[in-house]
Amino acid sequence: MSKKFRTLALLTLTSVTILSLIGCQAAPSTTPAANPSDEKSITILIGEDPPSFNPMVADTGYDALVMELVLLGMTDIDPNGTVFPELAAELPTVDNGGVALDEAAGSMSVTWKMRQDVQWQDGQPVTADDVLFTWNAIQDPNTGSWIPGIDSIDSVEKVDQYTFKVNYSAIYPGYLTQFGGEQLAIWPAHYCDASQGFVAWDCGRKPLSDGPFVLQDWVEGDHMTFLKNDKYYVAGKPEIEKVTVQVEPDDAKRKILMEQGDADIDMWINVNTIHDLQNSEIAKVSLSPSDRFVMRLFMNEAEKGTTDAEATPHPILSDVRVRQAIRQAIDVDTINNEIFLGLGHPQWTEFFRPPYNKCDVSRPAYDPDAAKALLEEAGWIDTNNDGVRECHGCASAEEGYEMHMEFITYSEYGEPLELTQQLIAEMLGKVGIKLDLSVVEGSVLWAPADSGGIEQSGNFDIDIWDDGYAGVDPTDFINEAYSIEAADPGSGLWNLARWKNDEFNSLIEDSYTLDEASRQETFCKMAKILDEQVPEIMLFTVPNADAYSSRLEGVQSTVNDLVTWNIADWKIK
Amino acid sequence: MTTYIARRLVQTVVLLFLLSIILFALVNLAPGGPLSAYGQGRRLRPEQAEILKRQFGLDKPLPLQYVSWLIGNDWTKVDTNGDGVADASGSRLGILRGDFGFSYRTRKPVLDEIGQRFPNTIYLMSITMGLALLIAIPIGILSAVKQYSIFDFIATTFSFAGQAIPEFWLGLLLIIIFYVWLRNPFTGEPLLPPGQMSGSSPSLMDSISHLILPVLTGALGWVAWYSRFIRSSMLEILPLDYLRTARAKGASERMVVYKHALRNALIPIVTLVALDLPYIFTGAVLIETIFAWPGMGRLYYQAAVERDYPLLMAVLIIGAAFIILSNLLADVLYAMLDPRVRYSE
Repeated sequence: MSKKFRTLALLTLTSVTILSLIGCQAAPSTTPAANPSDEKSITILIGEDPPSFNPMVADTGYDALVMELVLLGMTDIDPNGTVFPELAAELPTVDNGGVALDEAAGSMSVTWKMRQDVQWQDGQPVTADDVLFTWNAIQDPNTGSWIPGIDSIDSVEKVDQYTFKVNYSAIYPGYLTQFGGEQLAIWPAHYCDASQGFVAWDCGRKPLSDGPFVLQDWVEGDHMTFLKNDKYYVAGKPEIEKVTVQVEPDDAKRKILMEQGDADIDMWINVNTIHDLQNSEIAKVSLSPSDRFVMRLFMNEAEKGTTDAEATPHPILSDVRVRQAIRQAIDVDTINNEIFLGLGHPQWTEFFRPPYNKCDVSRPAYDPDAAKALLEEAGWIDTNNDGVRECHGCASAEEGYEMHMEFITYSEYGEPLELTQQLIAEMLGKVGIKLDLSVVEGSVLWAPADSGGIEQSGNFDIDIWDDGYAGVDPTDFINEAYSIEAADPGSGLWNLARWKNDEFNSLIEDSYTLDEASRQETFCKMAKILDEQVPEIMLFTVPNADAYSSRLEGVQSTVNDLVTWNIADWKIK
Repeated sequence: MTTYIARRLVQTVVLLFLLSIILFALVNLAPGGPLSAYGQGRRLRPEQAEILKRQFGLDKPLPLQYVSWLIGNDWTKVDTNGDGVADASGSRLGILRGDFGFSYRTRKPVLDEIGQRFPNTIYLMSITMGLALLIAIPIGILSAVKQYSIFDFIATTFSFAGQAIPEFWLGLLLIIIFYVWLRNPFTGEPLLPPGQMSGSSPSLMDSISHLILPVLTGALGWVAWYSRFIRSSMLEILPLDYLRTARAKGASERMVVYKHALRNALIPIVTLVALDLPYIFTGAVLIETIFAWPGMGRLYYQAAVERDYPLLMAVLIIGAAFIILSNLLADVLYAMLDPRVRYSE
């Protein structure tokens, strides 16, 4: 027995020693070759490792954040929604001859001229060959990806070393950001291995830089180190010499690090952190000047479990007066002030973002008494005084049918959304609408119908989440959310109310034009219809914010990109 | 014993095979999926979804997906361009040939992902478990020997608290105390780093300083658990006749406790530790999250949330293998240490 014990003890000791040695070897090496002084180094905190430098692979936001450090696109978008050139020498327009319209054929071509002073970190120039290489890689059906408007592109051809032409089979208003923005960078043809494919190539994780910084090392799950790119095309920039992107999964811990002055940027902070940092001398908050994501109610106009609002209308929500009454019964300001600490902005139209925010749509008033009157007019009356209305002469339900529905939200957003859901249920309860609350995973709520997706299979009455469009052009978003085609469940698109309006549909077709004045006018006509028909109820935008240390200058949060969109311009005081 | 071990190993293979079918079905049949957890926009265009389905192999029926995951698809042709015609040989080898596929999130081989995190988890968890045992064994012995003493009351209170305090709370508390409040009196720097595996100037001292808080946070629960177990195990043994005989023969109390009693009291502890060994593989999600430790726990959590099926399946299957083998190890050790236990051949 004692011999066995000695053997066991020896084995245990040896195992622990070996394991510890393995562990010691696993400790990441963190020191880059160069060692710039702390005065010129910054630390950016992110919640997760970026999957790669290519946001087209997984679109986590973290990938786009690091892409901005090392890779350029043809254009990018500033916080005010203005598109500006990066690799492009100028923005192609009809006026400067960059865009040729064929009105008769309904097609167009765009000629892009590139800057001639941009080079990769190995000294090779960035040329039209790189653009064509990137385009061909995206198009590969096996290993490629998808970009907005890709189906409108007939071909991309090289004109000369610094010029290329994109031929479209349709008028595509979003052409300016199609080869740029927060999603797409131009990749080096001489460095990336096309045979590995766009979504999997090694250069996606070990990129060759043409941006302001160069990747020095990446210890996965821990940190990434970037050093200033001496070959960056803007003279004298960036001023910062070293950037450490540190993975810190815990929100509370990131806030502590910011408050202690040990980090310079905390990406995507929540409303509580915004509130907590308001009086900090060390950490400041940058709010995006415009918002993107609108907290909104999606109401199924088809009966729960179905997707055809005409064949099987929803007994309650198919009546526009009910939808209008629900809108009147929700006190948006109270939700915003009590739960979102007044940091959101009430919204009531899809067209609130510049440059298309010029429609005259009045804000609907919070008026529970008017809501009650409207419900009575629609045939929903509480005759048995149990606090819940029943159908007595309503449009689509049987006599006596109770005004009782399910109200869903998704869990990942966390407490503020769940409190919002509860408050809305309480408000609607006061006008006689009873809601059963449920919280599900986003991956279940938004999944395709064949994967059991709740929305796509029509298996809901009302749900609430934050939705909005990327970039500055709402055309595709509107088309995918409100067109008759998008109401077809087979389309896989997001007209979740299954709302159909012929007039609105023809306006969508009209909006695919490059005539800005005409687009604005069309959008305002759309806004009026949406305001009257209420296929969705928009409540308020949720704030988009990043925290930054007070020693940094030039940080500006934006919904159009990640906070690092202008890192080359940042200065350390 | 050899026959017993061989039989158990064969059973393990069968069990893992059955488990793989159940896990694969559960993971894939759960509502939602990798495409709906994809991206910040939450809206994946149907065209993009089709491309991803093809690239991930999700366009095949589930049984075929399982077969491909198990034995690969290099023996058949697959449709690579979405035209519905199988046009090229598959490239997957299957897990039986060591190919666990690629992560949906990073498109890197799953084993590369695990290989990067696994050593970090072994490093943290083995030290945590080792330290917990080093502290728990003396506490457990002293608590038993000095039953109902002040030391025993303190140790009991401590162990109840240790089991009750949530790791995320303790971790944040330790960070606030040792990183925010307490400062090095000479440099003004925080006393301990709040996380990461090492700082900007790696050294032995730097590595140790980064280990202290996560190890303390993780060890507390284990110390509490093991010390209670050792205490009760000792209390069962101390009144036994063979110890009275030892005392009667003139053995010192020290000899009685540490030589005769402790050896037998530790037998169930060895079993317990063997059963806890899988934690060394699976890691601790909360500790790794709070202390930004790039280990297996975080990898698993992320794979589960993002429905990264290949990575999730690999972690689950390898974790299951660890659990089954740890159980076998516990049974074997028990038989080795306790002569009363014999397995039929």
